[in-house]
Amino acid sequence: MDREFFASRYETKTDNSFALDDNIMVRGGLTTAGSKMLQNFVSPLQATVVDRLLDAGMELAGKTKIDELAIPTVSEDIFATLSGAAGAVSEGLCRIALCNDVSGKNRRQAPAKGLYYIHPTYGTVSRFGLVPAVSSMDQLGVVCRDIDDGFNVLGIIAGHDEKDFTTFPEKSYSYAPKEGPFRIGIPVNVMEAADEESGNSVNEFAGRLGAEKFELKYFEVLPQVMYILSCAEIGNNTSRYDGIKFGYRTENYSGLNDLYTNTRTEGFRPDMKLATIIGAFVLSKKNYEAYYLKSMKIRRLLREHADELFSRFDAVVMPLRLKDPEPYRNMALYAFATLCGLPSVSIPFGSCGLQLIAQARNENILYGICKGAVKDGI
Amino acid sequence: MEYEVVMGLEVHVELATESKLFCSCSAKFGAEANENVCPACAGMPGMLPAVNKRAIELGIIAGLLTNCEITRTITFDKKNYFYPDLPTGYQITQLYAPICRNGFVEIETGAGKKKIRIKQIHIEEDAGKLVHDYRTGSSLVDFNRAGVPLVEIVSQPDFRSSDEVIAYLEKLRALFSFAGVSDCRMQEGSMRCDVNISVRKAGSKELGVRTEIKNLNSLKAIARAIEYETDRHISAIETGCEELVQETRRWDDNSGETYPMRNKEDATDYRYFPNPEILPVHISEEWISEVKSGIPELPHEKYERLTKEYGLSDYDSKLITGSKNISDIFDRTMEYVNNPKEVANWIIGDLASIAREENVPGDEIRIDCEKFGKVIKMVENRVINRTIGKKVLQLVFREDMDPEIYVRENRLGMIADTGYLEDLVREVIAANEKSVLEYKAGNQKVISFFMGQIMKRTQGKADPAAVNSILKKMLS
Repeated sequence: MDREFFASRYETKTDNSFALDDNIMVRGGLTTAGSKMLQNFVSPLQATVVDRLLDAGMELAGKTKIDELAIPTVSEDIFATLSGAAGAVSEGLCRIALCNDVSGKNRRQAPAKGLYYIHPTYGTVSRFGLVPAVSSMDQLGVVCRDIDDGFNVLGIIAGHDEKDFTTFPEKSYSYAPKEGPFRIGIPVNVMEAADEESGNSVNEFAGRLGAEKFELKYFEVLPQVMYILSCAEIGNNTSRYDGIKFGYRTENYSGLNDLYTNTRTEGFRPDMKLATIIGAFVLSKKNYEAYYLKSMKIRRLLREHADELFSRFDAVVMPLRLKDPEPYRNMALYAFATLCGLPSVSIPFGSCGLQLIAQARNENILYGICKGAVKDGI
Repeated sequence: MEYEVVMGLEVHVELATESKLFCSCSAKFGAEANENVCPACAGMPGMLPAVNKRAIELGIIAGLLTNCEITRTITFDKKNYFYPDLPTGYQITQLYAPICRNGFVEIETGAGKKKIRIKQIHIEEDAGKLVHDYRTGSSLVDFNRAGVPLVEIVSQPDFRSSDEVIAYLEKLRALFSFAGVSDCRMQEGSMRCDVNISVRKAGSKELGVRTEIKNLNSLKAIARAIEYETDRHISAIETGCEELVQETRRWDDNSGETYPMRNKEDATDYRYFPNPEILPVHISEEWISEVKSGIPELPHEKYERLTKEYGLSDYDSKLITGSKNISDIFDRTMEYVNNPKEVANWIIGDLASIAREENVPGDEIRIDCEKFGKVIKMVENRVINRTIGKKVLQLVFREDMDPEIYVRENRLGMIADTGYLEDLVREVIAANEKSVLEYKAGNQKVISFFMGQIMKRTQGKADPAAVNSILKKMLS
């Protein structure tokens, strides 16, 4: 099982251990980020979150496997395999696991394994030492068995870091569940597209808490927006892997262009190449306005829509699976929180779970709803 | 046919910060290859940019000196291209909200005063450097310069002659070096300039085909390149033997020609987009005035001080304030010799001529000003005469000699003993009766002949004033 979920395993003496996705750096350790490009990359630095967890007395259990650079993909079915983080926690190989869930894989899979996934507000947790995928969306979240435990760990890793310019100024956080009653929203148009099992879980949950219907705007175009913006940033963030300074270098080259082309052709998987090509396309002078800028505009409108929604609701409840199994279409479900930098929690409720999303920096509402749900035996 | 040349300049200036733009590595020039490199400026994943506040302040100063509007909320963008000296595969720069806009610089040439409009100034990071080893055919990369902060000053196409271009660059260099924005050394690459140039018939409103000239490493090269490129454009227009295309051309200083680098068609698409890792930076009114109050004395302010307070001539004051380095030497020497006119004379006369003999340009003169001051004082206090003083200064300049010790050990002290000098003069007169007759016949030049003879006998150490009066007395 170690080999199934871990890219590298560390020795532990206690149960008080954490796992890190293999794109989070531990000084002197391998950080492959699931890519041939970094297959021998020994990290010269250590992620701030690692320092904080070690300082809190936790032990490192290992680096869990991820899909290449943890990017959202279109051609590979990333949901067909279980995420290393969810696998390792559910098998009891570690107490909690940290991951950068841009693709939505962990928020989808954790509840199916009886786990929670807590995704904090963008800017809460330092990304120093995280191999970047989509910088405007990258945010470390916690996979955990117990919701108190999860928020406790989030409290340890959250807080301002001078090495990450985008973190909020608050030095530290301590989370406590907010008391209800809560006003919950349920998006009808999203529910129509949900698969039956997933829809049932949401409906049952919403029924018990009493939820009000609304329509989630831009839902239809969220995969496009998400994919265009993430490809743009992925292409940019991965241009450093060129075979010049570190990481994989092809043996087969004569001249500079050859070195670049062959290194990247051999070092990246097809979905990664596709992402960089699409990224270059949407950022090119000719297409910038029609693709990148338009997507940014929709992202802003979505953010405004979120502000309006959260003036009416404390949280919205959403399914985790669509009728359409296509991973690309399913991105729509995870894009709302990710694009807007909102906090969300995936809850193991019903057979395949659901997600709750709140206004930015309102993790305590999500915590409170989860606690209430546990108390009510839902 | 009369032609008009139209030029715009892109000037890159390395900011004089201690550390790089987005990490804490030293930004100093001249370190061992890859000495000033950390995971961030080597482009490793996991590092995030932390903006250097001082770089922004120097950017604000650059804008204030060039009469620009300072943008209140600045952002940074990413510019994508692959090259081995660019560690991340993108350069962090400012496209959408540059720090300064809409300024001007007033220049003065033989043709009078003129305003050159500034379109914008933006902050960006420098790239590293490739070193090619032609023996092995391999290339090596040095990332010391990668991440060093720059400002790029983009002018409007307001230049009509190379004189204007040179005057503008000299003005920028003086302003920026006095204000501590940059040391502006072209030969070290801390000031670089690309020239956009086109030629049109005089009186025409339409612009001609524009080319951009790169690889200009000195003011001389810039003037030559402009002249060459202007001629090339005119002959292309007149003879039609060459078709002008919009392109970037590289100046070759050895051949004195420009060569095509890339044309419009294969110009790189830089795929700019906003950098999500750096939040917008707000520049408040208070911050600007704080920065403004910290700007050191500028050339024109110093000129005022030199002419008004010290009573130096217009010529001397202009020379001293024309170079930050000379101006610093003046100030530092003044700490030891409180005599502005003397210090100015020594700098402009003796020090400058010594530097010229050694082929050291004014900006690169390095001298211990305390020792320089001692030389001036020894002459002033008649410990040594001026001729010896200049020789000692030469040694201070070349070998950093302590002038007092040197004078003592080599017994160069001035000989002012009247009795001894009178004996010498008597000997010289006795040995040169013919010259005495010439003098009496009215040839004043003979005095300097006698002076030379005395100096020869005293190894140049005699007090010239004393010798002069003894000579006049004894010859009459």
